[in-house]
Amino acid sequence: MFELLGAGLADIVQLKYLTALLTGCLIGVVGGALPGITITMTVIVVLPFTFGLEPLQGLATMIGVYVGGETGGLITSCLLGIPGKPSAVATTFDGFPMARKGEPGRALWLGIWASIFGGLLGAVFLVATTGPLAAIALAFGPWEYFSLFLLALSMVAGLVESSLAKGLVSGALGCVVTILGNDPVLGQERLTLGIPFLSGGIPFLPVLIGVFAFAQIMQDVERMGGAAKALEAVDRGVNLAVSHLKVILEILSRPFLLLWSTFIGLAIGVLPAIGGSAANMLAYDQAKKFSRHPERFGTGTPEGIIASESSNNANVAGSLVTIMAFGIPGDAVTAVMLGALTVHGIQSGPLFISQHATLAYGMFAAYIVAHGLVLLLLLPGVRWMLRIVTIPKSMLFPVVLVLCTIGAYALNNTMDNVYVLLVFGVFGYAMVKFRFPLAPFILGVILGDQIEINLIRAIMTDPNPWLFLTRPISGGLIAASVASLAFSIWQHYRHRARVAEADADF
Amino acid sequence: MKALPIIAAGLAALAASLAQAQYPDRPIKLIVPWAAGGDTDVIYRTFAPLMQKALGGTIVVANVGGASGTKGAKEAQSSPPDGYTIFAVHDSIHSTYYTGVADVNYTDFEPICLVSSTPSIVTASPKTPWTDMKSLLADAKARPGQITVGATLGSTSHFFPAMVEQAAGIKFKYVSYEGTAPRMNALLGGHIDLAESNLTQKGKADAGQLKFLAIASDKRLPEVPNVPTLKELGIDVEYAVNRGLLAPKGTPRAALDKLRAACAAGARDAGFPEAMKKHGTLVRYLDPAAYTAFLQRNDKENKDLAKELGMLKR
Repeated sequence: MFELLGAGLADIVQLKYLTALLTGCLIGVVGGALPGITITMTVIVVLPFTFGLEPLQGLATMIGVYVGGETGGLITSCLLGIPGKPSAVATTFDGFPMARKGEPGRALWLGIWASIFGGLLGAVFLVATTGPLAAIALAFGPWEYFSLFLLALSMVAGLVESSLAKGLVSGALGCVVTILGNDPVLGQERLTLGIPFLSGGIPFLPVLIGVFAFAQIMQDVERMGGAAKALEAVDRGVNLAVSHLKVILEILSRPFLLLWSTFIGLAIGVLPAIGGSAANMLAYDQAKKFSRHPERFGTGTPEGIIASESSNNANVAGSLVTIMAFGIPGDAVTAVMLGALTVHGIQSGPLFISQHATLAYGMFAAYIVAHGLVLLLLLPGVRWMLRIVTIPKSMLFPVVLVLCTIGAYALNNTMDNVYVLLVFGVFGYAMVKFRFPLAPFILGVILGDQIEINLIRAIMTDPNPWLFLTRPISGGLIAASVASLAFSIWQHYRHRARVAEADADF
Repeated sequence: MKALPIIAAGLAALAASLAQAQYPDRPIKLIVPWAAGGDTDVIYRTFAPLMQKALGGTIVVANVGGASGTKGAKEAQSSPPDGYTIFAVHDSIHSTYYTGVADVNYTDFEPICLVSSTPSIVTASPKTPWTDMKSLLADAKARPGQITVGATLGSTSHFFPAMVEQAAGIKFKYVSYEGTAPRMNALLGGHIDLAESNLTQKGKADAGQLKFLAIASDKRLPEVPNVPTLKELGIDVEYAVNRGLLAPKGTPRAALDKLRAACAAGARDAGFPEAMKKHGTLVRYLDPAAYTAFLQRNDKENKDLAKELGMLKR
């Protein structure tokens, strides 16, 4: 394993891969820093440019974007109080107050170093567990896969902020999208209404681009403005000088916090399709609960920044484990990576790491090296990143939209995908307007086919439906999904009760 | 106003002739109707660069998997016949047509050439107790309809075990696993007992991750001298998956000629047999005329087979 990792590192430091990785990191940091531009959008924009590259070059670019994005997002969170991306929301809670109290450099570098440490700890997990987990994945039969996907869907439906019912409906709608086209066993057309365009089914990447890029940008277009505030901050010429050693020691003197937040990030990452936006909130919440001074949270305590930032970088490692061991995207970003793998003719799944060892270890190495590169980019460039925020959104959004459209077209060189993007962009925007969460929907689109074919395989292998419960792994996963639904219902009621109580007080 | 259509027609003809003169002036899409990493994919990803050399243009492999390989077939059939879409076909086009899986038939295409032939191997999961074909047959007779076979339903991986079933007087249970790669995963994990595979899986068989029980070639192959043929075991089945290239019907003659010449040059490339050997595949080049005759014969055989198996839907 270490030999392979060594070989991977030797590969990745070659100029052609390193350039790709560095470019990815830079684009990621910028994309992550730009409020309104998510990492998913950034990776979508990058995707078509990777088609002409070698597989490892393309994947290194994307990993760079992912790592760079998770780190870059904290810059605006700390200094302006505007999260650059959803997975840096919790960073604003303490990062911004700390910056306002006159320690912007400390807030910023606490976040950056915590990101690096969380990410590198995640790397240990990534390298150590992908192989063993792939072996476990091989033992997964159709029952286990079905139950695993069920768990993923119920968790995502339960974790979203709006109602559980809306989350579930959203997930179900996603599954419905996958029904269109051919049935997976004998290719009979379903719900195609005789329209040839629909007979091939709906490809999921254009749907993802439509929902995650188009619908989200439309939301931001509604809230345009806010650049003025950013300009003001930059003009104030904030002093970002800080002793790095002191900041590093500040983080390392809280080993439990760092490890626990990293663990949360990893766990959330490994679970299919629950992204960094959940990880940083959960880690922050946990840090607050375990802290001896929970009242300091929200006023600029270093713990809050460390928890949020170490967890969202570790989340990247977790997502990479899932995609490499199981061939299941851990979130929207890795879903795009899965698409990139397919374009290069590589089947991801339990055999990926053994059959494409060079590529797999190259990806590990890219992940590790990306952290160093991000640090190198940020050491001299933080102030520049801050300036990027002042780019007017009226210029930025059209460019991103055009690039997304090109990306959809380039997937198969067909306009059909562009129409799919448009339809689902409008559809996603409507969902947002009616307060339906998007994450369960896209997970449904990603997993719908797999849920169906594994259900069919299970029944074809053995018609006994109890096997879903009596096979230990499958039974455990189903129990977990029931528990997660019950938990979110309980949480919902508790929330309501609290609100009612609060009302009674006044 | 009368002149307008004439001018338009003239322009169109000019454009057409220009297009032909420059063919190929943009990348040609090669539709592989199976998942990436499968046999067809691997073979054509090796073949495409060789063909490209002779063609002087780029060939881009597009994996359009799904629905027993018919999703890609449908896409190829409905693509504009301009020479910029070609289709990586194998024998399943006949079986899926006659079993009613798809409406796409080989007659919807123009043959370019036959490229390769891959003998099928009866492959068992390492978790099964069988040591050879005989113990499998004995077990299958004792437990009819209980041994699970992973297959792309209505396709070659289904027809081959069905032929073995018929010849040996046994009965399997089929589970839908599309594409070689997912089938091999399921075999490795022991989620199915048997599947059709071929020499591409030799590495896994040597490592003890899969068991080769019998090969459906005429004679034993030098790569796997210890694997008996079905024929010597008294099961009269010979089966191979033959892969070729087709273009949508109506593809311009000039483009077809170029494609055919490039295909012939690619198949005759000195490095090709050696590269194919790694994938357990024999190079089998047939020119367009011979390939047409082959397709016609193969079509009839598949129709008869579907009928014998009770799966004929047309």
